[in-house]
Parts: sequence; structure tokens; C-alpha cells
Amino acid sequence: MSIIVHDEPRVGPVPPEPTPPAKNYLNVAHTAASWLFTVDHKRIGILYLVSLTFFFTVGGLAAGLVRLNLLAPDGAIMTEDAYNRSFTAHGVVMLFLFLIPSIPAVFGNFFVPMMIGAKDLAFPKLNLASWYVYMVGSGFLVWSVLAGGVDTGWTLYPPYSSRYSTSNVTPGVFGVFITGFSSIMTGLNIMVTVHKMRCPGMTWGRLPLFIWSMYATSFIQLLGTPVVAITLVLLMVERVAGIGIFDPTIGGDPVLYQHLFWFYSHPAVYIMIVPGMGVISEVITCFARKNIFGYKAVAWSSVGIAVVGFMVWAHHMFVAGIAYYSAILFSFLTMLVAVPSAIKVFNWVATLYRGSITFQAPMLFVLAFLVLFTVGGVTGLFLATLGTDIHLHDTYFVVAHFHFVMVGGMVLAYLAALHYWWPKMTGRMYSDFWSRASATIIFVGFFLTFVPQFVLGYHGMPRRYPNYPPEFQVYNVLSTAGASVLGFGYLLPGFYLTLSLFFGEKASANPWSATGLEWVSSSPPPVFNFDRNPVVVCGPYEYAIGVDQLGRGLPEPPGPGSADDPASHDGPTGPAGPMQKETHVVG
Amino acid sequence: MHTPEHKTDGPSTMHDVDNPAAMFVVYLVVLGLAVANILLSTTPLGKSAIYIQLGIASVQAVLVAYYWMHMRRGDTAVTLSAFCSLFFIGIFYLLVFSDIWTRWRMAM
Amino acid sequence: MSANHHGVLKHHFDNLEQQHAAERLGMWFFLVTEVLFFGGVFVAYTVYRYWYPNEFAFASSHLLLWVAGINTGLLITSSLTMTLAIRAAQLGDRRALIRHLLATFALGAGFMGFKAFEYYTDIHERFVPGEMFRQELAKAELELHAGHGGDHHGTAQHWAVDLAKNNADKSHTDPAYIGPGRVQLFLCFYYTMTGIHGIHILVGLGCILWLVQQAATGKIPPENYSTVEVVSLYWHLVDMIWLFLMPLLYLAGAGAHAAGH
Repeated sequence: MSIIVHDEPRVGPVPPEPTPPAKNYLNVAHTAASWLFTVDHKRIGILYLVSLTFFFTVGGLAAGLVRLNLLAPDGAIMTEDAYNRSFTAHGVVMLFLFLIPSIPAVFGNFFVPMMIGAKDLAFPKLNLASWYVYMVGSGFLVWSVLAGGVDTGWTLYPPYSSRYSTSNVTPGVFGVFITGFSSIMTGLNIMVTVHKMRCPGMTWGRLPLFIWSMYATSFIQLLGTPVVAITLVLLMVERVAGIGIFDPTIGGDPVLYQHLFWFYSHPAVYIMIVPGMGVISEVITCFARKNIFGYKAVAWSSVGIAVVGFMVWAHHMFVAGIAYYSAILFSFLTMLVAVPSAIKVFNWVATLYRGSITFQAPMLFVLAFLVLFTVGGVTGLFLATLGTDIHLHDTYFVVAHFHFVMVGGMVLAYLAALHYWWPKMTGRMYSDFWSRASATIIFVGFFLTFVPQFVLGYHGMPRRYPNYPPEFQVYNVLSTAGASVLGFGYLLPGFYLTLSLFFGEKASANPWSATGLEWVSSSPPPVFNFDRNPVVVCGPYEYAIGVDQLGRGLPEPPGPGSADDPASHDGPTGPAGPMQKETHVVG
Repeated sequence: MHTPEHKTDGPSTMHDVDNPAAMFVVYLVVLGLAVANILLSTTPLGKSAIYIQLGIASVQAVLVAYYWMHMRRGDTAVTLSAFCSLFFIGIFYLLVFSDIWTRWRMAM
Repeated sequence: MSANHHGVLKHHFDNLEQQHAAERLGMWFFLVTEVLFFGGVFVAYTVYRYWYPNEFAFASSHLLLWVAGINTGLLITSSLTMTLAIRAAQLGDRRALIRHLLATFALGAGFMGFKAFEYYTDIHERFVPGEMFRQELAKAELELHAGHGGDHHGTAQHWAVDLAKNNADKSHTDPAYIGPGRVQLFLCFYYTMTGIHGIHILVGLGCILWLVQQAATGKIPPENYSTVEVVSLYWHLVDMIWLFLMPLLYLAGAGAHAAGH
């Protein structure tokens, strides 16, 4: 359907601020048991938020150790063995305990039901179980680290991990295996919820793009995670029994392990980044006060990434001894996956074009994402190209590339989501100044950390090596200096967000004047999300005509830019101006 | 909130109920195929044996899925999920074997 | 709605139809993960079978085919009784429901019983990759030398004697040579695949017992039959995977016997 807007700039009156219920999901009960045995998706999201923050800190400290040690060419602070264990701990904790669950488990849990107008996820108990499974798995990982660590690198390649490593590989692998189940449970829950729990009027074409990206992510989780599970089972069997199918002494093929491993672990990087892309679409429309450019293109490119992402894994193995013909094929397929990612970036930039942009913290994180993700994506093409990859493979170039995507992309999207939805989750506003400062510091620190690593890698410094020639020292010192700035930037939200819980001003139901269903109910939301069941009448990003998905008007957006808000004024960017084609409603 | 528009004389008939005789016929066919599979393995089939064996297993699987797992009255998402799993297994096989078929291996 | 009297409808669903559809779809999505889970090991199996057909045929033909045959029959029959259990649940026939569930449980338990017997026999025959395999093969080779290659009735196991005889006069590059390492590779697959499948059967048996308990306490009224159906979907999939495991593991030697020996 489409709504043709004529002269009237407003479609509906601004709804009254909903009276905050006496009991919201936070204050309905206060005991520890009410948290530990909750089946409320919002509370489980908070449980995940707390656990993930803890493991992000642990992983960050391990990264700090790695960077400190690289200050000197011969290792500044620890033995080479300890260095191996540090970077493995950093990789395993950050990937399996932070990045893979991050947005789906925290914001997916919390907001998927709210954004589609449901009371809860389809399987609330399974949802709680996923948190417990996650905690058990991370318990195994913590145990393996405390008992001396794992030194194989997070990829756990045999025969080193199966036959030669003397570190705690088995509990570590078992921990990763278990956390995989939690990932599957979350993904399954979200997929079924999106299929079966949408409120009346919430057609597929009216789903917020965050939901599309969560759906695509869950799809990858369901299809990929079991394959790494069986691979890790085979690895554990081999390590425990002393003989197994990757053992070259009986004719086994260690490269086959890499095939099985990367069949999951390459799509896993899309598990990490695609939810972030969903967040970007939500935030960028809200703070540019514009409809998303190319809704269908952005929505289907998420699905495109999910599908094509399964066909590219062997670019991790170009120098591992796979067939040349196969390598050529995978090089080509890898280039293909850049297409949907690029579609998204172009559409976001087109969304910004002539928008009324304001620069609150969520938007700053998103703009940083756009820059860093683009750098990360384009350097990925260097690595996808078979010829250049021979030179760049397993160097710091690769390290810098995937940190640009994973940290510059995903962690910043995570922070954007945290800042965007924090008022809704907690009912409090945080410090505007400090949050902007934090976004800026993180952006600068990040660049300083990883740009020198591109140079290092290009000049041939291999990843995972504790030592390097003295002429590389200047870049390594620069990188460590940047990491310190980055670490400081990460600490800031810990302070001002915590302080906001006690001293922040109360958030209104819709502080950003956003259109999604999650902003309809009060902040923080009541236990069952909505006072009455919502009925959706229009698409998710009607900023141009200024209506939310229930067809009601939006409150005045915050920030200095609100005087230029196209939703409230005529003019070149207003609904009656030349941009009026923007008022075409999706769905 | 009303019951869906099935012809109902009780809540249990919201879906079709299986006909036991039909289920038993499916059972006999699946079992017969299993016996045939084992018996065929005693005959000289040579290299084609594996294809025949997997073909029989596939027919059995389709029968089980269609009749016993009720795919014949499942919704679209169920059918899609079944095809998705097969599609991605297919990709998995094809791309792994793009390496295995063309990889140089020492003559042994 | 009558269902609410039973407390069957959960708070976050609008109606039973939605709830059942969500439960079924959830289980189907889980089955997708199961297919991919086994898919990983099937891919690996296919790679090695492509590389080492002779060894796979040899090792496969020394497994207990008759046990596998009986187990196949047991599983298929248990799938039938499971389907009949759904029907009983839909019709609200509690006695029939419990009867069919118990029959399914008995058949599944029978499968595991035969499986245990099979493992016991395999281990008794020292047909286990690793140290056991190497020792037994060395013993057979020694006895073969001592017994001058004739029909010597030594203490070595049947499979080891066969392997030693086959390789006695062949170099490693001979196409008919059967590499002991690769035979062990097959055995790794045999134990891992049947082991993982067995664990799935055990989980299924646990779920069926739970269903019996639920049915006995009257918690499966006809409105809630989808609980039975969801478990049955899982049970059928485990059955279906066995239908592929059986020819891959036990019948791999089929063509080779006729052609090679």
C-alpha cells in the first residue's frame, strides 16, 4: 500500500505520553531468584548484558596483555608460551563469549518481541536455558584458562590441537561446544518468534530491518553452529582417544578439519556483523529523520549475506594446501559476498543524504561504524584476491582487516545499540557529553591501533608471533598506544551508563522520536511489553511523514536539529517539498 | 479468539488424524526397502552399490518425512526448512569436493 | 475456549493454533540443526570413502550386519508406534497413547541393547582403532609367518588374519593393498557415528519416558497433542539418520565382496 501525503504535514496527533505503570519489568520483583529464574525475555536480555560485559572485559584484558608484550621486539612482559595463551584467550573469549552472542542475545532477546508486537519470545524457558547453557560453556572456558590456558589459537587446528599441544585443549573445546548450543537456542527462538508471533498488521514488508537482520543471523546460527559442534566433537574424540579422523598418521586429512571448521566459522563472522547492520538501519533512520533508502534491498541483502556467506569459507585456506582450482572458485565466491554488504553501505549513505542529522551518541557510533566497516570491507577484498592473499595471508594485515570489521563494525554497532536502547531498557538518560566523548575517543583510538597493523602486515609481520624485527617496533608501539586510548574509551560507558542508573533523568517513552513499536510502551516497558495488543498500520521508518508504526504522530525529536526536522516543517526536505516521494510507505 | 475453520466435532480434529491402515502400509514399504537394501548388498553390484543404497535410503527418508513427520500437511515454513537443510548440505558437499576432486595427492 | 480449562494455552500466545504451529516449527528448525550436525560427519565420511574405498569395504564387511539389520527393523517399527501414539493423543485415548509410547520405548531400548551387544563384540574382537588394533594385527602377522600362510588356527581375530593375509605379499603401492591405518580411520567413523546416534536415541528415550509420565498424569489432553508430535518429529529424524548410517557403515563392503574376493 502507499500513502500519498498532500498538504498536511502531520498525519496524526502526537500520542499522549503513556502513564508509566506502577510495575514495570524491572521493579516487579527484586529478589535474586526473580532474576535467575525469570522467563521474561527482557530480563534475560539484561542477564546476557551483564555476562557479556564481564567477558568483554576479560577478553579486553587479554588483548591488553598481547599488545603490551608486543611493545618490545623480543616480548616485553611475558614468555612466548604465555603469549600464545594470551592471544588464544583473547580470541576465544571475544569470539565465542562476546561477539557471537552479543547483539542477538542482548538486544535480540530484548527487542525482537517488542519490535514485532509480541508478549515474549516463542519459547521463554528455552530462552532462559540458553543463558544457563552459555554460562556453563563459559565456565568450562574460564576453567581452561585459569588452569593454564590454551595455546592453539582460537582456530584449534589439528594435529597441533589434537596431538601436540600440552595445554588445556579439551575443556576449552568442550566450552566452545556448549556455548554453541546457547547460540542455536537463541537463534531458533528468534526465528520461530519472527515467523509465528508477529502482531496483526506486521507483515514481512513492515518488519523493522533489525528484525530482518536478526532473522538472517539466526538462520546462519541454525545452519552453521551444528557443523562446528560435530567438528569439535571429532576433535575432542581425537584428542581424548589419541586417534581420530584428522590424524595424518592413519591417512587422515588435517585440511578437512579446516573445511569443517570454516564452514561454520566463516559464516560466524556474519553472525557477528549482520545484527550490527540491523542496528545501523534503525539508528541511522532515526537520527537522520529519514525513511530508509531501499528497504527491500537492505532487507534482502541480509538474507543474501546469510546465503552467500556459506559459500566462501575456503579463503581462509588458500595457503593450507587446498586445490588450486578450488582456491580460484572460492576467491570468486568471496568477491560475491562483498556485493550485499556494499548494497547496505550505499543505502545507508543514501539515507543520510539530505537528512536532518543530529549527532547524539548512537549516531556517532553509527557514523564511526560506516567508516570503519567500509575500510574493513574493502581490505577484505585484498584478502579475497588469490594472488595478494598469498602475500598477506596470516599477517597483521589480516588481523587489522578483521578487527576493522569485528571491532570497528560490530563492537561499535553494539555500543550504538546500547546507547540507542539504553533509555528504553533502563528508563534513564545518560550523559550526552560523556557519551559523545566516548564515541569520539573510541573512534580515534581504534584508528591508531589498527592502521599501523595494516602497514606491519603489508611488510610481512606474521600474526601470532611474539617476536619481530626491530624496525617494526615503531608501528607496534603506535598500535599499543592506540589500544590504550581505545581501552580508555571503552571504560567511559562503564562509568556514565552506571551513573545514569542512579542519577540520570527519567527517559520518556520515546526519547529519540523513533518510529518502532518498542517505543510505544513506557520506559522501562511493562512486564508483558504492551498495555494493549498493538495493530500495525504502516512501515517501520515513516520519518518523512512523522508517524510511528501504529500510525500515530511522533513527539518532537531531541537535539538542536529538531528545528529543521522535515517531519514538522515544509521546505525542500519536508513532506510537501521536492523530497515528497520519500513518503512512499513500504509494505 | 475462535477455533480455526476446520470442520470440528472436537478439539482433537483440529488437524487430520492419521489413518492407521495407511500408516501401516508406509511401515511395510519402509521396512521392505530396508530388507531389500541388505539383500541387494549380497549381490554383485560393484561400484553402483553405493548409489542404489543411498537411493533406497532417500526413498525411505522421504516416506518417513512425508507421512510420519506430517510434511504433507505442514506449513510452508516447515517445507522450506527441510529444503534449506538439504540445500546447504548440498553446498557443503559440493564445495568441499571442489577441493577433494582436484587436489593433488601423492600416488599411493 | 475449552483448552484454557486445561491450562494448555501459554500466556504469550493468542490461541492454540499459533502455539502448536510455533512448537512444531521450533522442532523442525531444531531438526535442521541435527541434519547439519550429522551432515558434517557425513561429508568427512564421504571424503575418506572416496579416497580409501578398499579399506572402507574391508572394514565394513567385518562389522555385524545381522545386528544392524535387526536394529533397523526395531527403529522403523518404533517410528510406526510413535505415529500411532500421536493419533491416540489426538483422539484423547490415554490408554492407547501410553501403550504406544511404551512400545516405542521398548523398541528403542531394544535397539540400544543390540547396540551394546555389538560394541561388546567389537571390543572383544579387538576391532578398535589405536593400540588394540595394532597389537592384534601384529599378532596376526606373526602367526601368519609362523603358520606359513596356510589355514592356521591361531589366536588372532578373524579380521586381523584377513588383513594380514591380504597384505602378506603386497607392497604399499599395490592397488589391492589395504592400509591398516585407513581401516582404523573407518573404525573411527564407525564408533563416532554410531556413538553420536546412540546418544540421540538415549535422549529420545528420555523424552518418551517423560511423555509417558505426562500422559499418565493427564497432562496431555487432545488440545496438547503437539507435545507428542514434537517428540515424534525428533524420533523420526533419528530413525531417518539411521536409515543412512546403516548402508554407509554396514553395507560399504557390498560391491567389493562380489568384485574383489
